[in-house]
Amino acid sequence: MTLFHEAWRREVSLLACGALEGVARAAALDHVRSCASCRLELAALRETLELVAADPVRLAEPPIASSALIARVQAAIDRPGREPIAAETAWRPFAAPALRSAAAAAAVLAALLPLTLGPRLERQDGSPVPVVSGPAAFPPAPTADDDTSVSLDALERLEIHIAREHAARYLNEAQDVLVTLAATSRDCERGEGRVDVGEEARRSRALLARRALLVEMDRAAVASARPVLEDVELMLREIASLESCARRADLEAISRELGRRRLLMKMDLMARELQG
Amino acid sequence: MEASDRDLMGRLALGDRGALEPLMERHYRRIYRVALAYLRNVDDALDAVQETFVKAFRNAARWDPASEVAPWLVRIAVNHSIDRYRRGRRRLAREEPLDDGDHELRMAAAGPSAERAVFGREVAERVAEALKDLPAKQREVFVLRHYDEMSLDEIAQTLGMSLGTVKSSLHRAVHRLRADLEGLKA
Repeated sequence: MTLFHEAWRREVSLLACGALEGVARAAALDHVRSCASCRLELAALRETLELVAADPVRLAEPPIASSALIARVQAAIDRPGREPIAAETAWRPFAAPALRSAAAAAAVLAALLPLTLGPRLERQDGSPVPVVSGPAAFPPAPTADDDTSVSLDALERLEIHIAREHAARYLNEAQDVLVTLAATSRDCERGEGRVDVGEEARRSRALLARRALLVEMDRAAVASARPVLEDVELMLREIASLESCARRADLEAISRELGRRRLLMKMDLMARELQG
Repeated sequence: MEASDRDLMGRLALGDRGALEPLMERHYRRIYRVALAYLRNVDDALDAVQETFVKAFRNAARWDPASEVAPWLVRIAVNHSIDRYRRGRRRLAREEPLDDGDHELRMAAAGPSAERAVFGREVAERVAEALKDLPAKQREVFVLRHYDEMSLDEIAQTLGMSLGTVKSSLHRAVHRLRADLEGLKA
């Protein structure tokens, strides 16, 4: 093979990739017409690129609604002094390493205090502090006792915030399972009319275990989400109880029920509400 | 009339969050696919989308109004994906496998026909493996060409490479993939 020919090989590759235009493309095509080995190479490369074109990732849609993604971005922007989003924590519940040490928890608390205390001034009895202008609006200087009560209050708010965040993530993951199930079409060995849903059933069981934990964490914090959580639980129980090689008709029934309850939309809205 | 990308970036630069939503609606799918092609993991790709738009908001004032918005966003996503991929590899070397890759492939392979889904799954697995074996530069160029359909000039601009480097990288990448995907029939 000559150096001249080697230079054409690159052009043939680019031709196969559809990356040449105009004169360069015409020249490469001319060369291929006169060169048998280049014709073979072009055919082989095109075959390879047809495989890449068949990669389903090229047409993949994000598994969550754009509104949920936008809400995530808004929340991330609001997070004061946030570190770069760690992939290990951003979309995976109960993995928050930031809360694994007291020092880190204190840092999170410090970051959340302005958000949790600032906009919602309340008296100890829960009644709102009236907003008035002038010096009278300033609260008295805090005593040592006040300091303690504020800290406990802040901790309580932090717990509520975390509970709501976990509930939102739970809903996002459950939504992922439900969407996947609705789209799944993996046949299984027991023949036609049956679909492999082993993975969805396993994930549903894992989510149901977490659902119990959510309720234990803080009932009041996720009270507004209870109706949606109950509907989600019902659907996940249906999926968890499916055989791994399930009848397609059972899946269709679940999908119909999902549509009837408009559950995906409700989950999306509730997740956004929980995240404030 | 719909606001242009440039208008939206101008508003973002002034701290107008209202511009974020239309900008995201317009570009998030593209960013997601590029990140998914590179990272092969749904959660990581969603992270990349999130981080791309957070960075776009924070750095909007530094965006050059003479340049196109989409390549700038893709550049952010690619940078994030490269970092994420490297961290994943380092962790892989230290600990256990990053994940079984099943979830994302299942998501991607979901389609109307079971046969096509099975084939799609196999293709996705083999292509993912082959892409993993490419050197970083070749991988970046190949992903932008074949998953984002960028022209060679756009790739050069997005990755800050010379056109010659882009051409050589694509040439080498496609030959390596040909060798790696030998035996898999379309």
